[in-house]
Amino acid sequence: MIRKASIALAAALTLGTQAFAADAPAEIKIGTLYASSGRYASISMPVHSALKLWVEQKNAEGGVYVKAFDKKIPIKLVAYDDQSNTATAATLYNQLVTQDKVDMLVADSGSVLTAPAVTIARDHKMFLFDQTGTGASFFSKDNPYIALMADPVSTIWPKPVADFITHDGPGLGIKKVAILYSTNEFTGTQANAVRKFIKDSGAPIEIVYDQGIPTETTNYTVIINNILAKEPDAVIHLGYAPNDIAFLRNVQDVGAKFKMLFCIYPGLETELLEKNVGAKGLQHVFTYVPPQELEYPVNFGMKMSDFKKAWDAKYKDGKIEFGFNSVAGYTTALVLEKTLSVATSLDRMELRKAVFSLSGKLKTLDGTFALDEMGGQIGELTPLGQLELNEHGHIKFVSIYPHETATGKPVYPRP
Amino acid sequence: MLYPLVAGVLFGLYFSLVGIGLNLVFGVMRIVNLAHGDFLMLGAFVAFGIYTAAGLDPLVGIPVAFALFCVAGLLLYWVLVPRLQRARDPEMLSFILFFGFSQVIEALTTIVFGTSERSIPSRQLASSLAGIRASLFGGEATNGPFRIFGLSFPASWVVAATVSVIAIICVYLYLYRTRLGTLTRAVMSRRDEAVATGINVDRVSAAAFGIGLGLAAVAGVFAPFMFGSFTPAFGIDATVTSFVVVVLGSLGNPLGTALGGVVYGVSYMLVQTYLSSWADLLPYVLLIAILLLRPSGLLGRRVRVA
Amino acid sequence: MPDTLRHYLIIAVPLLIVMAVLPSVYSNHLLLFNFVIFFILAQGVNIIYGFTGYLPFGYVGFFGAGAYGFAIMVMHLNAPAPLAVLVGGAVAVVLGLILTPLLRLAGAYFSIANLAAALAVLHLVANPALEQITKGPYGVALNGTFNPTMAYAGGILILALTLGIVVYLKNSSFGLALQAVREDSFSASMSGVNVVKMRTVAWLASALVAGLAGGVFAWYVSVFYPDNVFSADFSIFAIVFALFGGVATISGPLIGVIILYGIYNLIGFTTPQYFQLIYGLLIMALVLFLPAGLVSLATRRGWYVP
Repeated sequence: MIRKASIALAAALTLGTQAFAADAPAEIKIGTLYASSGRYASISMPVHSALKLWVEQKNAEGGVYVKAFDKKIPIKLVAYDDQSNTATAATLYNQLVTQDKVDMLVADSGSVLTAPAVTIARDHKMFLFDQTGTGASFFSKDNPYIALMADPVSTIWPKPVADFITHDGPGLGIKKVAILYSTNEFTGTQANAVRKFIKDSGAPIEIVYDQGIPTETTNYTVIINNILAKEPDAVIHLGYAPNDIAFLRNVQDVGAKFKMLFCIYPGLETELLEKNVGAKGLQHVFTYVPPQELEYPVNFGMKMSDFKKAWDAKYKDGKIEFGFNSVAGYTTALVLEKTLSVATSLDRMELRKAVFSLSGKLKTLDGTFALDEMGGQIGELTPLGQLELNEHGHIKFVSIYPHETATGKPVYPRP
Repeated sequence: MLYPLVAGVLFGLYFSLVGIGLNLVFGVMRIVNLAHGDFLMLGAFVAFGIYTAAGLDPLVGIPVAFALFCVAGLLLYWVLVPRLQRARDPEMLSFILFFGFSQVIEALTTIVFGTSERSIPSRQLASSLAGIRASLFGGEATNGPFRIFGLSFPASWVVAATVSVIAIICVYLYLYRTRLGTLTRAVMSRRDEAVATGINVDRVSAAAFGIGLGLAAVAGVFAPFMFGSFTPAFGIDATVTSFVVVVLGSLGNPLGTALGGVVYGVSYMLVQTYLSSWADLLPYVLLIAILLLRPSGLLGRRVRVA
Repeated sequence: MPDTLRHYLIIAVPLLIVMAVLPSVYSNHLLLFNFVIFFILAQGVNIIYGFTGYLPFGYVGFFGAGAYGFAIMVMHLNAPAPLAVLVGGAVAVVLGLILTPLLRLAGAYFSIANLAAALAVLHLVANPALEQITKGPYGVALNGTFNPTMAYAGGILILALTLGIVVYLKNSSFGLALQAVREDSFSASMSGVNVVKMRTVAWLASALVAGLAGGVFAWYVSVFYPDNVFSADFSIFAIVFALFGGVATISGPLIGVIILYGIYNLIGFTTPQYFQLIYGLLIMALVLFLPAGLVSLATRRGWYVP
């Protein structure tokens, strides 16, 4: 009796699956949030705009290939505006999962707005495509429902910077380092990582200044004066874009001369920083070399130059900056597309398996996509570079470290 | 020690200008203008527009912003305030009304200008003055760092502090040397009596409201230099800081704001130097302490009820 | 007291039953949970503002303190979640006691000092120097206690407690005395009412419900940053909702939450920043044309609104 029942059940299941497979949906629903206003708007809008660009492009071609149904299916992007408000974001993530029943869940940008999605995805056992939320607490062995798409986890990210200072620094005469960081999760974790890399290296480097300041800080005149008093050979400033803008402008305004100066955002949002700080103020500043300066060889999706063309054609008014974040959004889109083309069903564990199967193989304009076992991004590392002016007075990147990808020698000390 | 002190005074004088408009409006009308910071933000857009569209010195933005927002303030006054004054608890309702207004301003600015950071190159500020200075005192016609006691400070800070001092003197002259100003002070100290003695309270208040918004916009002209950059969302933070400054000096006393600004600036810079990660905590603690220990502000009148 | 009973039966009990049943009908539980949270917070504002006239512009300070009280109990002492929620409420009450001196301040001074206090607590909790205790700016991730269903049930219980307090205030001589103090504290104190003590009780009750709400909120979301639980949006929303419906009533704040938070979610879901514009305009219109809240539409006609 039991046997008969189980055979019947198995048959029903097979029938069910077949019926399901034949019954391809009219569209693949991808759910995401963005912030059109508030604190996180300037990082969220470029990411989201890139995602939209991809959706339009693919739907114009009749959709993306979905292995689970073995055909091209159009994409429907279900996107809500969380206005940088995390309580709203939490409700909206839940809305995407429970009401819209999206097939794939994509988080908003940045750790603060990603945080609510991590819990909700885990609660509903939904796989979360984390775009740029690098928070170390998101990734743990007991949470299989997340992977980071488009930038490295904060604990790994600053490795090229620390390695440059500990390997090449002593040769150049770098002995004393100052670390100044904004006390938020993103830059605080990077500061911890830099400190740890420098201490663990055993190199003869002394950290003479190490201060966290509130993220809302917008003037650095006094802090710069305090750092100058410690006479560091290198200054590492870790903050968000508005922090970098204010810091670099103040460095210029008081005429401070630092021999080496590292900031994050001149590399990540170069257009924005150049507009606000001026090309002169960025000259010889060390920063991450973002993918849009590198033309990584790709095996999937548009090359950087094509993406830039497509972006400029779609967003002509220049209200949304082209930069690291727009590339991050497009990278997420490519991972989504590739995942759909290899996953045999839209089941959450199958999606996870498909995403992890891309690790080390998928090469996009953002570099090589590589995940650790917890879903943290460890590929897509941004080399350390330095900004120089070309003959027209425009900013160009010189890649410095690691040596394999270097395109020039560092200018040290900064004249 | 000297550096943070001087920086604090410069920074603080600017914050006096940031707060003074808020205080004038409160003193005269008992209206809490929660959209104050948004007018600052709009002032920054005026300076930005003047610089990008016409290539002019952002200082030109001062009269433009002041005139523009004075008129806007007068219009706004006649639309909003008389209705509000009829309510049972105008002070509290004004809180909410101007919160709504601040949302409207932020939304409209975001729709028109987008969300990314904007700024004006530092050397553009007072570029016209630099030429005059060079011809008078010699030296270069540029705005390099400004040296005080052998220490170098951003030129833009010195310009902002100077304009702030001038603006505060103007407010003083208005209040103590003009007829309208004298009436304004009468309304500020005893509104009921002022009404009884036949002062046209509406006219006085409208003028104060216009001037208050105008001053906020003037402070906004310097925002791109003092804060590095600005976005449409920057208003609310500016409002909170303005409150700190205003209360330190005493709410309802515009001239106390000058002192409040300097106390805020100096204490902020000192904490930033010696306890940097606590820098944002101190102003609030200071604010609460002053309210409780010296409730009338550094200069001012009684505010406690029980 | 038949009125008390009637208020329980026609408002509190039906609302609690509806909120308890809705999750089985509608699956976006977090949205329902947020409604419960805002019911509690709007009524918490009602307790202190509606009955005593103190507008707590930094109300979120209690909410955040409750959330961190919960998180610290769970992280460091492995406390069971319901106990940790109670501790969250206790932490908020302690904070309320520390801030009791603020009640000596009048009107806008109180609101601003309260705002400063909330920001001070935020910067304290988020300070990296306290990373060992609060995890500083790096945020809290609680794994062991995650249980949305139980957290939701906890929210319903706290809502019941809050409604109980408001119904009591509305109908008891204590509540009437409080309102008398609000209208005229001098003559109330002359008639033998212990003004200070009564205000303190209302203040602490208001802190308690916000702290408990923060505790269950932390339980429900379990991964959060200081910015999330100390977001000024909580204070602003709670105040606007309460005022929109009408304070010093039981139903007003509830109506405010249902309508405004409902609209917020309906429009916010589909339209981008135009929503902020509509919301801001709505608030302004309300203050100008209906300053005593929606319930005044009925009270103006002489109808009794509980």
